[in-house]
Amino acid sequence: MYRMLLRKLLEAFITLFCATLIIFTLIRLAPGDPVQLLLGHPGEAALSDKQAYDDRAAGLRAKLGLDQSMIKQYTAWIHKLVQLDLGTSIHTGRAVGAEIAARLPATAMLSAAALLIQAVLGLFFGTVSALKAGKPGDNAIRLVCVALASTPAFVIGLVLLSVFAVTLGAYEISSEAGLSRLWLPALTLGLIGAPQLIRMARANMLAEFGRIYVLSALSRGLGRGRVVKHALRNALLPVITMIALSLTSLISGAVVIESIFSWPGIGKYALDSILLKDYPVIQGYALVMVSLVILIHLCVDVVYALIDPRIHRNREAGAEEHV
Amino acid sequence: MFAARYFGEDTFIMVKKELETMLQITNLQVAYRQGRQSVRVLDNLSLELRQGEILALLGESGSGKSTIAKAVTGLLPPSAHIGGGTLHIGSTLRVDMDMAAGKGRGKGRGKGRGKGKGIQWEGIRGRGIAMLFQDAQQALNPVMKIGAHFRESLLYHRLASPDEVKPISIRLLSQLGFLDGERILECYPFQLSGGMCQRVCLALALCLKPAVLIADEPTSALDTVSQKEVLDLLKITQKELGLAVLLITHDIAVANAVSDRVIVLNKGVIEEEGDTRAVFSKPRAAYTRQLLSSRSQIAKPSRERESSHAGEPLLEIIGLEKTFDGKKRVLHDVNLALNRKEILGILGGSGCGKSTLARCITGLEYPERGHVMYRGADISRLRGKGKRGLCKHIQMVFQDARASLNPGRTAMQLVQEPLQYMHIGNKGERETLARFYLHEVGITGDLLSRRPPQLSTGQCQRIAIARALVLRPEVLICDEAVSALDMSVQAQILALLQRLHKQFGFSILMISHDIRVLRSFCHHIAVMNHGSFSEVKRASALLHESKQSYTQLLLRCAGDMEEGLY
Amino acid sequence: MSNANHPISLISGIVVLSLLAILILGAPFLAPYDPVKQNVTERLEKPSMEHPLGTDRFGRDVLSRTLHGGQTTLISSVVALCAALIIGLLVGLTAGMFHGSIIDIILMRLIDVLLSFPFMVLAMVIAALFGTSLIHLLLAVVAVWWVSFARLTRSVVLHAKNETSFAAARVLGATNGAIIFKELLPKAISPVLILATFELGSLILSIVALSFLGLGSQPPAPEWGSMLADGRDHFMQAPHILIGPALFIFLTVLAFNLIGEGLRDRLDPYEKSEL
Repeated sequence: MYRMLLRKLLEAFITLFCATLIIFTLIRLAPGDPVQLLLGHPGEAALSDKQAYDDRAAGLRAKLGLDQSMIKQYTAWIHKLVQLDLGTSIHTGRAVGAEIAARLPATAMLSAAALLIQAVLGLFFGTVSALKAGKPGDNAIRLVCVALASTPAFVIGLVLLSVFAVTLGAYEISSEAGLSRLWLPALTLGLIGAPQLIRMARANMLAEFGRIYVLSALSRGLGRGRVVKHALRNALLPVITMIALSLTSLISGAVVIESIFSWPGIGKYALDSILLKDYPVIQGYALVMVSLVILIHLCVDVVYALIDPRIHRNREAGAEEHV
Repeated sequence: MFAARYFGEDTFIMVKKELETMLQITNLQVAYRQGRQSVRVLDNLSLELRQGEILALLGESGSGKSTIAKAVTGLLPPSAHIGGGTLHIGSTLRVDMDMAAGKGRGKGRGKGRGKGKGIQWEGIRGRGIAMLFQDAQQALNPVMKIGAHFRESLLYHRLASPDEVKPISIRLLSQLGFLDGERILECYPFQLSGGMCQRVCLALALCLKPAVLIADEPTSALDTVSQKEVLDLLKITQKELGLAVLLITHDIAVANAVSDRVIVLNKGVIEEEGDTRAVFSKPRAAYTRQLLSSRSQIAKPSRERESSHAGEPLLEIIGLEKTFDGKKRVLHDVNLALNRKEILGILGGSGCGKSTLARCITGLEYPERGHVMYRGADISRLRGKGKRGLCKHIQMVFQDARASLNPGRTAMQLVQEPLQYMHIGNKGERETLARFYLHEVGITGDLLSRRPPQLSTGQCQRIAIARALVLRPEVLICDEAVSALDMSVQAQILALLQRLHKQFGFSILMISHDIRVLRSFCHHIAVMNHGSFSEVKRASALLHESKQSYTQLLLRCAGDMEEGLY
Repeated sequence: MSNANHPISLISGIVVLSLLAILILGAPFLAPYDPVKQNVTERLEKPSMEHPLGTDRFGRDVLSRTLHGGQTTLISSVVALCAALIIGLLVGLTAGMFHGSIIDIILMRLIDVLLSFPFMVLAMVIAALFGTSLIHLLLAVVAVWWVSFARLTRSVVLHAKNETSFAAARVLGATNGAIIFKELLPKAISPVLILATFELGSLILSIVALSFLGLGSQPPAPEWGSMLADGRDHFMQAPHILIGPALFIFLTVLAFNLIGEGLRDRLDPYEKSEL
């Protein structure tokens, strides 16, 4: 058991290490000289200042460590990261770590609420759809799912916003994060994620209905509701795993919704920084997101292992195969 | 009427009272939708099951025997359509099977499992009719402990208070041969073997005190020893409780071992019905005679056949060891020699490692230790080209013939496949060779251009044999090659293999769990148990000479079940 | 909604997609106006007889721009997805075929790393570092999207390797190449194609979302994403600018999803069970 935990932990660290390498390489590959970006283009400086400009550029280069080898630059960066130093924003001059930490609660709150909404929608309608398979109820749910899954996120957001904020006046538009403002963006985000979960819950339930233990439970004279419970217990584990994993896409996918609803989360912060070409912020944002995703995957793996894995061992292969 | 036949006129009145009818099926009609057509499986079938008897329903695949079990419990799949029929359970309950049959038909598609939506199946299943399934391990919910299954059944049907559940279940389990019922209740299904699961399922069925028990191929997935064990327990508990049991099986030996009466079913029609002893000793219907003769063809003790000459063995296995996942030891110090033109049988229960041995010989697995010598050279660790060259010498036929053939290719294409891989001959020569071998196995005419989905399982196995022989191998490994086939097809395939063996003179390594098949077919039999061979004996002498308790046990189990069948 | 006998969703998906394809590919002949010609006198006009979907802030006809714009969006996403699909198939087949070997371990680790990069995040990083353009966006798509195909292919291959037909091919002396192309690829191709139709839909939605945020292709090129980015600024005064492209995006993605649902129902390995 502990060996398994250690292995998962080690794997997570290797993944994180590879991810930092990728981010580092991407940044070094980017066209444009960061020094020029900070000081402005030398052509714009007056000719007499050429010497002064070069001096300042060289100084900055040394300060940023850009004159050293790639490996040294990388280790220096990692060294700072370990001390939780994500660098400072070019634009505002504030520490990126602190800025992200200040905005993380807003995104976390939004994602958690959306997760709850889509889990409830997914489990409920998925089960109902499976129970009514082939009947009008099932067809209606599937139709709504396909339509919802085909609608761009911002359309859902804008439609809900114009209905609730503009037409009904039930929602106040501002850039504050608060519980009273949470429900509409959370609902939007939940609606976007729900179709996939509904589809998966339905498919899993139907697959379970065909299994012999369901026939066997029926043959023991158990009622329909009781037998559905049997199937649910087997069908739900992969769905719950899926819900947990969808947290990653919620956190990253919140960008659009945060932008539409002016929700002050990290997505919006990153987006604003991209338009300002604020490299350290982008770098810090990417790193935080990747670490969060790895953390979520690790947690799901560990919880999955804690539930007696042998019971589900035969089933895992099948669940993985579901499209 | 039947009672009169068994016991004579004078006992008729008394016996009739005792042998109350527990389950009566009248004029049952079931059809399956296949695409746009509907295929009729049961046509006006009627049968009667009396108290305290085991009625065997004997039939080959496609005879509709399982459909009967599903129809009377309302568990038919949505594609099935019940045309009509009546069901009497006990003396009071009457069910019209076509009650709601018209409802779905109007829309042209099935509605709900097993039709008859108007029927209150919950009241019938469990208390009225209990059921055993073929794969017992799959019949238990994988995420529930055994104890939870009992608790749920007993409490749901209000047969016990929460405190009584545990003692009742433990008592039932001990009746079914579990001495440590307490531990079993805490187990998950995957922790128990197939035989144990089937006994648990039987206990679960009995805890509801059903009027009728339907057992659908309850022992087909088990090895000989557990099969015997489960059947014995079934028989004992049935006698104790005076239960009416409908035993559905394809195996004459199973029907012979436990049943009082037997019904022979062929393509949805009852061919013969009567006392088990009478039917099997003096069959009246031609179909029953045919079934019995294919069985005796398979099971008759082998004539004294000696492999032609000894000398250097063709294939020799020395000290072979194989483990899986670094822990589970599958093969342990396996030694075996196969002579030229010899037919050697490998006998063993499920999980004894016999299939792994076959995979090691053909290079599908690499052993950890030991050697597989073919004509004096070690072939167990060949890789790449060398390993591929091996297929000209050693070939294999698999249990699931259909799955071993690519469904998209015709018989002709399939047999040419190995020739293409080995770059043998040109297109014309390959076709001639393929046609020749297919002719030898009895695939001719328009069958040559058919694909596996359009062929029967027996025909698929014939093609697989032709495909294995087209490279003229010296050794043919048959891994349970006939186990999945109906008895009559089994006899045909075995006869075919025997003829081909005589004609082409290759050696055969026949792997099977079925002692009957091996005894009639092989020169020698090697008995495998827990990953190694306990003994190798001449087939004809196995019964008398065997010293090993395991072999004796296997032989006894098989022998008991066949008593009086010759 | 559909079963094997009534492939309603498959047929309706194909019909919608064909109509869209005719409209979009025939845009040079069907579009009433030049998509880039500006007309300052007709800025931000509401839908009318002359301009069925209205005009944008430069007075360009939204319908014409939508029809023309579809070409860029559709072709680029199909090309990107095909590239991802081919990479995914190859990686999945290799990893599955040599399961447990060092190649498989390295590939799986790579997949783990890429899985920890949410697509949105990677696309944003690339847009920030290399500049916002459709090409960069598509590169990000290919870099991330092959993973799902690779994982699916690998699991199908691992299942197939346990089947009798695989052992049979081995025993008959088939080469690795023959096994991959004759035994494994045919088994992987249909689930991968079904996944691809769904993924194409979500790919278009992702590209559109990023374009909406201003990280995709840039104006004035007539492309659905950039039209959305353009229309966003005028959403309050002239929501109709968004309606044209949004409607076409919805219909396109809907068509792909319907086809995917229909195909999956057809190829579903197990009989639909009811309780």
